[in-house]
Amino acid sequence: MDTIVAVATPPGRSAIAVLRLSGPQALYITRALVHDDSFTPEPTHVVLKDLKTADDEVMDQALITFFKSPHSFSGEDMVEISCHGSPITVRKLLNRIQQLDARLAGPGEFTLRACRNGKLNLSQAEAIRDLINARTTAAAQQATRQLKGELSNALSGSKQQLIDIIVKMESALEFVEDDLPQLQRTAVLDDLAVVQNTIGRLAATYQTGHLLRDGIKVALVGRPNVGKSSLFNGLLSRDRAIVTELPGTTRDSLTESIAMNGIPVTLTDTAGIREAGDRIEAIGVERTHRAMADADLLVVVIDASSAVQAEDREVLERARISRHVIAFNKSDLPSVIDTNETVNGSKVVHVSAVTGAGLADLSAAILEPFGTVDSESVGLLVTDSRHYDLLVRAVESFDEAASLMKANASEELVLVGLHNALNFLGEITGETTTDEILGRIFSTFCIGK
Amino acid sequence: MILDEVFDVVVIGGGHAGCEAASAAARLGANTALVTINLDLIGQMSCNPAIGGIAKGHLVREIDALGGIMGRVIDRTGIQFRLLNRSRGPAVQSPRAQADRSLYRTEMRAVLEHTPNLQLRQGMVSDLLVSKDRVAGVSMQDGRQIGAKAVIIAAGTFLNGLVHTGRTTYTAGRAGEPASIELAEALKRLGFPVGRLKTGTPPRLDGRTIDWDAFEPQSADEKPVPFSFATDEIQQPQIHCFIGYTSDKLHDAIRRNLNESPLYSGKIKGVGPRYCPSIEDKVVKFAEKDRHQLFLEPEGHNTNEVYLNGFSTSLPAAMQQDLVRMIPGLEEVRIIRPGYAIEYDFVDPRELGPDLQCHRLPGLFHAGQVNGTTGYEEAACQGLIAGVNAALAVEGRESFTLRREESYIGVLIDDLIRQGVDEPYRIFTSRAEHRLALRHDNADERLSRYGREVGLVGDQEWERFQQRRDRIAQVRKALTSERLRASDPAYAAMKNLVGELPESISLAELAKRAGVETRHVQQLLPTTVRFETTQQDLEFALADNLYSGYIKTQEAAISRLNSHDRTPIPSGMNFRVLSGLSHEMIERLERVRPQTFGQARTIPGMTPAALSTLLVSVTAAN
Repeated sequence: MDTIVAVATPPGRSAIAVLRLSGPQALYITRALVHDDSFTPEPTHVVLKDLKTADDEVMDQALITFFKSPHSFSGEDMVEISCHGSPITVRKLLNRIQQLDARLAGPGEFTLRACRNGKLNLSQAEAIRDLINARTTAAAQQATRQLKGELSNALSGSKQQLIDIIVKMESALEFVEDDLPQLQRTAVLDDLAVVQNTIGRLAATYQTGHLLRDGIKVALVGRPNVGKSSLFNGLLSRDRAIVTELPGTTRDSLTESIAMNGIPVTLTDTAGIREAGDRIEAIGVERTHRAMADADLLVVVIDASSAVQAEDREVLERARISRHVIAFNKSDLPSVIDTNETVNGSKVVHVSAVTGAGLADLSAAILEPFGTVDSESVGLLVTDSRHYDLLVRAVESFDEAASLMKANASEELVLVGLHNALNFLGEITGETTTDEILGRIFSTFCIGK
Repeated sequence: MILDEVFDVVVIGGGHAGCEAASAAARLGANTALVTINLDLIGQMSCNPAIGGIAKGHLVREIDALGGIMGRVIDRTGIQFRLLNRSRGPAVQSPRAQADRSLYRTEMRAVLEHTPNLQLRQGMVSDLLVSKDRVAGVSMQDGRQIGAKAVIIAAGTFLNGLVHTGRTTYTAGRAGEPASIELAEALKRLGFPVGRLKTGTPPRLDGRTIDWDAFEPQSADEKPVPFSFATDEIQQPQIHCFIGYTSDKLHDAIRRNLNESPLYSGKIKGVGPRYCPSIEDKVVKFAEKDRHQLFLEPEGHNTNEVYLNGFSTSLPAAMQQDLVRMIPGLEEVRIIRPGYAIEYDFVDPRELGPDLQCHRLPGLFHAGQVNGTTGYEEAACQGLIAGVNAALAVEGRESFTLRREESYIGVLIDDLIRQGVDEPYRIFTSRAEHRLALRHDNADERLSRYGREVGLVGDQEWERFQQRRDRIAQVRKALTSERLRASDPAYAAMKNLVGELPESISLAELAKRAGVETRHVQQLLPTTVRFETTQQDLEFALADNLYSGYIKTQEAAISRLNSHDRTPIPSGMNFRVLSGLSHEMIERLERVRPQTFGQARTIPGMTPAALSTLLVSVTAAN
């Protein structure tokens, strides 16, 4: 096993930068950096040291933390060096470390080593990726839960129950000459239903869970000068988009991310839809159409202080085929609009970008179609589409097995579905080998004619 | 070196592996010698006098389909045939037969003696001859030197065999036969990684002292299903076996005397099979069971000896008589031979390629218990593969191997050489991920063409196989083309049987309905088909019909697991720089130079850890 090094902090200038070393040579390389062959820092204690070039020139003063195998993230000897965050210093240090027999780590290689050394399972490794990429606190919280192995833990009970069922059925097949208890099909069906329900319920949390991870794309659309950009700024709570009283001020789509109730929302302010006056505006409108097609939800902004116009109707007609909310803006002004004509069963919110009234209602209306409850207070959620897919497949496999069981089919047929389900769960929690199942059989039943 | 004799292939051991190995090698044209300590005990059943059982029966039928001999010999000497799991689907049914122990031995020896190119030699092999890093023959305890281009070790429990009864131990290969100690030491000297396993056998009883009425008789099948595809009919008269139970009193007595058992005093270091526990283990590990099932199995037509199946023990020989007498019905019984435990050496099978040849010493093959397996059937199938490959190697022909998806033999060998063993390895149907496709009755369809290609399946058997295949094709065709219609006279009765029926339904679909039996379908076949085919042909076609959908589901699931198979491996990839790959894994990869991950996955002996390291690296490289 060789030793790898990488800069753990984002590129660019910063107060400090962190370099990580992992592998059997980590401590040896650090000794060479500090020019002290007996340097043996106490594990997990921070030490301040001068880092020197081969010619004894000080490159930087840095904090060094040593993690001794196996008590480190990767399971190997690791050293973390917190140096000053100048790109030039970092470059120098990296070059020096590479001369000292470490190589640059490939993407995800620290995590890979942690997996290989049994420090993490696959779903925990995925959680690290999610945690790094998390955009809201709730998403980070879910990733942390998964990192602690909560998804694997939540499944491990069901997996054990499933293995118990498989063990009973396999032994009925394999040890027909042994004096085993008769297989009680109705009892097995009951057990099966319990496992299936647990997994089914977990799969159902994906509806909320995936929003936490992937977020919702929302586009504000409408004819020019209805106040889309004002609403955009209102929802962002800052003046991001330029707002004037001139129609067509927003020429290009503008996108920003915010958290609504813990859910990451990508909000896009679009150019108003109308017959374009010039080439630039035409491109802007074209982009609006694209943003509409791309969005999970459209907020159709209508000026409630003026009568409905043909352009409003056009936008509404386009929006009807998608998930949408109608925001009647300028509720601070006298309402002249005939709301009956426009509403037509759609969800409606009255809002004033100027006073901020109704903005909270609008946020709630945006989240409502996604069936989200308060994401910061709920339990473990499935956030990864791969996990969701596997859980759904497992549930389907249970269905097949249960219906064969009810039809009194022979065990080897029922077992096809059960083994498939176990494999699907195993792709989240780790594989169950035939030897483990056989081992369980031999410890459960007295086999041996 | 002066050689006394020279052969192409020398097989060490005359047990179930050795017999198949010698027969196969000789029939492929290799000048072959089978060397054994005692010629009178060729084909000896060291433990229970039975062949087959769930998954083991599959192995025997595969051996037969490939042209091996075990199936024919048991068909001629079996005295109680039973098809197990009759109430379940055809894929998990498996034949089992009680053998007349002495007849089996005699018949096996006769088969070998009638095999051209095969010579029997009595004597104990004490060392291997090595020349230019290849095996060159064997030397015998009595000083003879026999040259050979290939040597097959099939020495069973004889390698450093140590028998235990109570506190007494003595070296032996089986009770009453000498152990092979020098050969075991020679293997260690050659650097083979050697481990220790344990197995055991129960006492044999005098049938005249058994109160037979106290036991429940178990009869043979009325229509015995033979092991060999070449057998028309089982001719041996069929006998009963008998089922009985242990008692509380016996359990207490065993518990009181556990300190006398070498298993519990720590004397036995070798690992025993968990699926074949001694009676001591049963009583201790399953203390909540108030009785354990036992089988009384007569050992033959012309003997009073009875095998007490389920009572394997290493308690002192002197104590066994008293213990056995606590079994209801055995109050007056006399033991003819006491039970015992035996420890023996095995060589880590990860040393082997899929042809069962040792990487460490080309020309040397290992088959049977030396590879850590247990069971006559497991031994025999390895013997067959080793014998074929030894003969092919002598001729410089390409090796013969079987895949997991086409045979239990492939599963067994793949498990051995990839994963090694930590207890005696037995085959189970659950070890085969393609279980539904690997039926005992379609072993010929799966494997006979290989047996024919390699040269073990003779003209007569091949002709027979082709006829059967044609008949089955005829039935298959009839099942899909023939329909039951509302206008047919039989329609009403069938509707009565299964409930709802469409106006017209193919026989294949009808057969899948619950309640429809083979005989119903048989009656609906056109007269010509019914006349020209047998019931087995129909059962075969119906089994295919039953499983076809599930096999597709299973294959899909397996291919999903293998979804990275097409990921390419860059042609110049340097495996040596992949961190975490052991030297051995690097060598295997460099030998094969796989172009895709799928090819790497099928390299024998690649560990899952090595494969995931490789996968991550190639995914990153792509």
